[in-house]
Amino acid sequence: MKKIDSNNAIEIEKLYKSFKINSDKPRTLKEKLIFSKNNRVEYVEVLKNISLTIKKGETVALIGTNGSGKSTLLKLMTKIIYPNKGTIFTNGKLTSLLELGAGFHPDFTGRENIYFNASIFGLTKAEIDNRLNEIIEFSELGDFIDNPVRTYSSGMYMRLAFSVAINVDAEILLIDEILAVGDQHFQDKCFAKLKELKDSDKTIVIVTHSLGNVEKLCNRAIWLKDGHIEMDGDVKSVVKKYLEVCG
Amino acid sequence: MSIFNELYHYRELLKTNIKKEIRGKYKGSFLGVLWSFLNPLLMVLVYAIVFPYIMRIKQEHYLIYLITGIIPWNFFTTVVTSGCNCVWINGGIIKKVFFPREILPISVVLAALVNFFISCIVILLFLIFGGVGLNINIVWLPLIAIIQAMFSLGLLFILSAINVYIRDIEYLVAFFMNLVFYATPILYNASMFPENYQFVLKLNPMTHFIGAYRDIFYNQVAPNFLTLLFLFILSSIILVIGYSIFNKLEKGFAEEV
Repeated sequence: MKKIDSNNAIEIEKLYKSFKINSDKPRTLKEKLIFSKNNRVEYVEVLKNISLTIKKGETVALIGTNGSGKSTLLKLMTKIIYPNKGTIFTNGKLTSLLELGAGFHPDFTGRENIYFNASIFGLTKAEIDNRLNEIIEFSELGDFIDNPVRTYSSGMYMRLAFSVAINVDAEILLIDEILAVGDQHFQDKCFAKLKELKDSDKTIVIVTHSLGNVEKLCNRAIWLKDGHIEMDGDVKSVVKKYLEVCG
Repeated sequence: MSIFNELYHYRELLKTNIKKEIRGKYKGSFLGVLWSFLNPLLMVLVYAIVFPYIMRIKQEHYLIYLITGIIPWNFFTTVVTSGCNCVWINGGIIKKVFFPREILPISVVLAALVNFFISCIVILLFLIFGGVGLNINIVWLPLIAIIQAMFSLGLLFILSAINVYIRDIEYLVAFFMNLVFYATPILYNASMFPENYQFVLKLNPMTHFIGAYRDIFYNQVAPNFLTLLFLFILSSIILVIGYSIFNKLEKGFAEEV
């Protein structure tokens, strides 16, 4: 097996991914048996021949129109789904913030749900204990932390979820469109926190449509178009070109 | 073995998942976790009313004979029938977060194992107050239960993984479990089974598990260790096969759920 260069956080080589599309998916045995002959299975190639390296400490934005394969690429990096061809190597503890509040149980308190949620990211009890105060403080929930999550407003729910996610200590952070959380005050706080993570030499890959934030936060942008890399480089020039074509 | 490393790394997730399975089930009810204890008790109550009067089976201490079979069977059937969709119903997080998928079936089995041990308190109460009494052979209970947990986990690995692709499994399993229930000497004594079809009972692993429980609780003797060894080997084989099937299929979970 090939060894990843220790200066690189993510190495992707000649990656292909396609999804099965069947018009009406046969779910049951009956349908599988009866329609086995005339069952048209079509494949849609979502990513074609992607090769890229992301160095440690880089903050990279993935931009592109809807359906261009950004989220799929992120999911492949997380190993939620697997490529049809090609390889992905990652180096270091990786956390993906694709979903806020994964594993929350409405009947348990905010404090207990911090444990549920953080444990899904692979933290141990001691690690969560250490971060508990920080997480509660960041969420600004105060005494509500000991109330069941089902009594929370949706804003409070998202604030708690984001606080857990952002305080999970990882070397590589993959973020998918979750910056628009809470009121303006909380959004500013999240942005500041991301900036802090960036300055502390974390590798961050972020999928987003808010190009203003991209230019402020990232130093590199990758523009995906119809499953291939259209442009890769300095954030200012890529965003400018992207806006010229798609804006 | 990387699976053990991964499970160790994600031990907190395993723990919180088991906690959610056990406590979450009864959260919001007045009695809470006490229901894990009350449920088997109430179930026994139903059998205590129905069987001695309607079925008129001539078995000494029939009620105790019954619960020493029913409660272990319940442990098995809870895992296999209600655990069957454990991967499917967690589709939301499977699509969004990476974690070892094996955690899902494993926590179903471990939660059921904890519940089973709580239910065994009911058995002990009936032994003490039902005139049979306690004996030292009860120390073998954890051993038998753990072998049964391995056996159930192996089956659950296979069923929960296939169920993601073919949703019928869930319903087929429910039917099949009903069938196996009557092919296991739980309600009746093995000797009541037709002579020509005794091999059906002998081939059914659950017969031997229930037999072992009955030995330590009801017959008050040590379990047959040769049978236990055989069950252990069988369970290990099923566990290994089950895990490798699960391992093969899990790569497609996020796209199928």
